[in-house]
Amino acid sequence: MFGTVNNYLSSVLHAAQDLDGESLGTYLSLRDVHVQNHNLYIAQPEKLVDRFLKPPLDEVVSAHLKVLYHLAQEPPGYMEAYTQQAAACGAVVRLLQQLKDENWCLPLMYRVCLDLRYLAQACEKHCQGFTPGHVLEKAADCIMACFRVCAADGRASEEDTKRLGMMNLVNQLFKIYFRINKLHLCKPLIRAIDNCVFKDSFPLPEQITYKYFVGRRAMFDSNYQAAVQYLSYAFSNCPDRFASNKRLILIYLVPVKMLLGYLPSKSLLQRYDLLLFLDLAMAMKVGNVKRFDEIVRDQELVLIRSGIYLLVEKLKFLVYRNLFKKVFVIRKSHQLDLGDFLSALHFVGLNDVSLDETHCIVANLIFDGKIKGYISHAHNKLVVSKQNPFPSVSL
Amino acid sequence: MAQVRGSCESFCPDGEAKMRIREKLLHYFELNNGQKNKPGVLVKEFTRSAADVKMPLPKEMRTEAALTKTVEYLLKEQPYNVAYDFIFDRLRAVRREIVIQMYHASQKICLLEPIVMFLAYSRYRLCEEPIDKFDPKICNQHLQECLTGVLCCYEELEDMESSREPTIRELERRCFIESLYQLFNLGSPESFTRALTLPDYVRRDATRDATFKLCFGICLAFQQGNLYRVLMGVPQLPHILSAVAAAKLQAIRRSLLQIFTHAYNNKQLTVPVPYLLRLLLFDGPIGLQDQCRHYNISLTADRNAVQFNKTDFNHNAEVFTPQHERFVESKLKRIYIPEVLLLKKFN
Repeated sequence: MFGTVNNYLSSVLHAAQDLDGESLGTYLSLRDVHVQNHNLYIAQPEKLVDRFLKPPLDEVVSAHLKVLYHLAQEPPGYMEAYTQQAAACGAVVRLLQQLKDENWCLPLMYRVCLDLRYLAQACEKHCQGFTPGHVLEKAADCIMACFRVCAADGRASEEDTKRLGMMNLVNQLFKIYFRINKLHLCKPLIRAIDNCVFKDSFPLPEQITYKYFVGRRAMFDSNYQAAVQYLSYAFSNCPDRFASNKRLILIYLVPVKMLLGYLPSKSLLQRYDLLLFLDLAMAMKVGNVKRFDEIVRDQELVLIRSGIYLLVEKLKFLVYRNLFKKVFVIRKSHQLDLGDFLSALHFVGLNDVSLDETHCIVANLIFDGKIKGYISHAHNKLVVSKQNPFPSVSL
Repeated sequence: MAQVRGSCESFCPDGEAKMRIREKLLHYFELNNGQKNKPGVLVKEFTRSAADVKMPLPKEMRTEAALTKTVEYLLKEQPYNVAYDFIFDRLRAVRREIVIQMYHASQKICLLEPIVMFLAYSRYRLCEEPIDKFDPKICNQHLQECLTGVLCCYEELEDMESSREPTIRELERRCFIESLYQLFNLGSPESFTRALTLPDYVRRDATRDATFKLCFGICLAFQQGNLYRVLMGVPQLPHILSAVAAAKLQAIRRSLLQIFTHAYNNKQLTVPVPYLLRLLLFDGPIGLQDQCRHYNISLTADRNAVQFNKTDFNHNAEVFTPQHERFVESKLKRIYIPEVLLLKKFN
C-alpha cells in the first residue's frame, strides 16, 4: 500500500485536512497493511515528514515510521519501538490539546494507545532488565495522559467533546491494571465514568468491555450482587458471534452466580466448553465436599490462571450446607445430632474432620444465615427452626 | 546514573565517628560498657536524604562485607528488647545504603532478609510495650516495606536467565520469608494471589519445605472462612512464624466469638469454658474472661460456662491488642534468637 513514502505522507496529510480520524488512525496503526511496505522503514524520517506535516502531527508520524523501522530489525527492537510509540502517544496528547472543541481525532488516539499497549506487552514478553509489569505501567501512564485531556474537555458540546473517548481509554487501562494486578488503580477511572453525564451513550462494544471489567472488580471486592449485574449485562449484550468473549465473561459470571445460589445449566456450559463448572456444580448440589476439593485440586492451575480460585474456594461453605441439609432430610427431625453431620462428612470421604470442626462449620453456617437454628453444646445437637431451617441461598 | 560503591570497612565511617564523639552524640549502646564519654563500638546512624545534603562520598558508605557484618553485629551482640530503637535506626541506615549503592538483587536479599526477621520478631516481642516505647504501626510499615523489597528481589533473580539455580539454603530462606509474608498479610486477597502464583519449587516442593505448605493451608482456611483450621494450624508453625501469626489471633478470636454468639444463641444453654479455651487457644480462663467482658458476653455464676446471646455482643468494642501467647513463648525459648534472625537455622 502507498508505494512510496511521499504517497504515504500525502495520504496522511489529506486525512488530516479532511478531519478524517478513522483513516488517520488506520494510517498510523500497526495492524494495517501499510506496515509491510519496506519503503516506510526509515530510521530518521523527521526531515521528510516535516515537508508534509505540521507539528505535532509530524511527530506522531515520524515516531510511527521509526516504530516500523525498529520492528523490522532482526531481532525486532521491541524496546526501541515501544519508546517511539510512547513518543507518538505524547505527541497525540499535544494534538488533542491543540484541537479545541473538536473530537474527530479520537480514532487516531485509540489506535496509538492500543498499539502502545500491544508493544508494551511485547516488551514484557521478549525483553529483560526491568521488573515485570514495569513497561506496562509506563504505558498506562502515557494512556492516562490522554485520558486526562479527554476527561477535562467539559466545555465542548456533546457531539464534539473528547469525553466521548474516555471509555475506550478506561478499557485499555483496565486491561493493563488487571494484567499487572493493580486493581486499586481502577477505582478513580470507574468514578470518572460514573460521573460522566452521558455514560450510557458510549458505543455498545465499549460498554460491554467496561461492564466486564467493572464486574470482575466487583467480584474481587466481594461485591457479588453488583458483579452479577455487570457481568450479566456484558454477557447478554455481547453478540453470539464473539463466542470466546462470551466464554470469558462466563468464567466469572458462573461462579459468582453459584455463590449466590444459582447453578448453571448443562447446555450453557457445554456450548461454551466450561464443563469444569458442571462438575463443581454437581459436587455442590449433592454436598460432596471431598469431590469438590478434588476437582479444585485437579483444576487448580486453570482456576488460578483465570483468577477465580479464591472465589471457588468460597463456594465450599455452600457445599457443607447442602450436605447438612441432606442429613436434615434423612433424619426428618428438628433436633439433629452433630455426630450425624460428622458421619456425613466422613461418609463423603473427609476423614480429617473432628467434632470440634463440625461445630465450627455449623456455627459459621448459622452466622451466615444459611441455617436457621442454634446449637446446644451440652446435648451436642443442632436445633433447627420449624420454618424454613435451610433458607434458599438465592434470594 | 553511575553506580556508587562504599569503601568504608567498619561499622561507622571515620568522619561520622569523629564528629559524634566530639559532639557527644553517642547512643548508650555505643559507649564502652555504658561508661559516660568512653566510646565503644559505633554504628552509622540513619539520616534522611534531603535536598541540602550532599550525596555521600564512597568513604562515607560501607562495603557490602561491612554492611553484612554490621547487620550481624546488631542482631547478635545486642540485648534487643531494650535496644530496639537503636537497632531499628542502625538497620535503617543499612537499608539506605543498599538503596544508594544500588546493589543487585542477590546482595539485597542477603542484607534485607535478617532485617525482615528482626522487625517481625520485634513486632511480637514488644507488642505489649506502651506506645512511647514501641510503635507497632511504624514497625508494621517498615516490615511490609522490607518484605516487598525482598520479594521483588526474588522475582528479579528468577527473571534473569543468567542467574544460577538457587542453592538449597537460599530456597529454605526464601520459603521462610514467603511464609512470613503470607502470615503477615493473612486475609489479604492480593498476597494470597501471590502464594498461588509462586513458582513450583517454592509452592510444591513440600518434601523440602513443609512450612510453606502449612502457611498456605492456614491462609486458604482463612479465605474460606474456616477459622477453626486457622487456629489449629498456628501453633504448629515454627518460632518466628507463629509469633507473626500471633499478631492476628485477637482478631480471629473476636470473629469466632461473634460467630458463636449466633450459633449458641439460647438463654437456657451454655457452652463450657474448657471447650472455648481449647478452640480459641487461650492460655487460661483469665484471658477468655477478659474478652467476654470486653465484648459483652456473659459468663455463668460459677465461671465454668459461657452464655452466648447474639443481641448482647458489643460490635463497637475494638479488637484486643496483640499479646504474648504461651505457645509462642515456649517456642521462642527453645531457640537461640540471633541464629534464627540471621537465618542460619530454621528449626
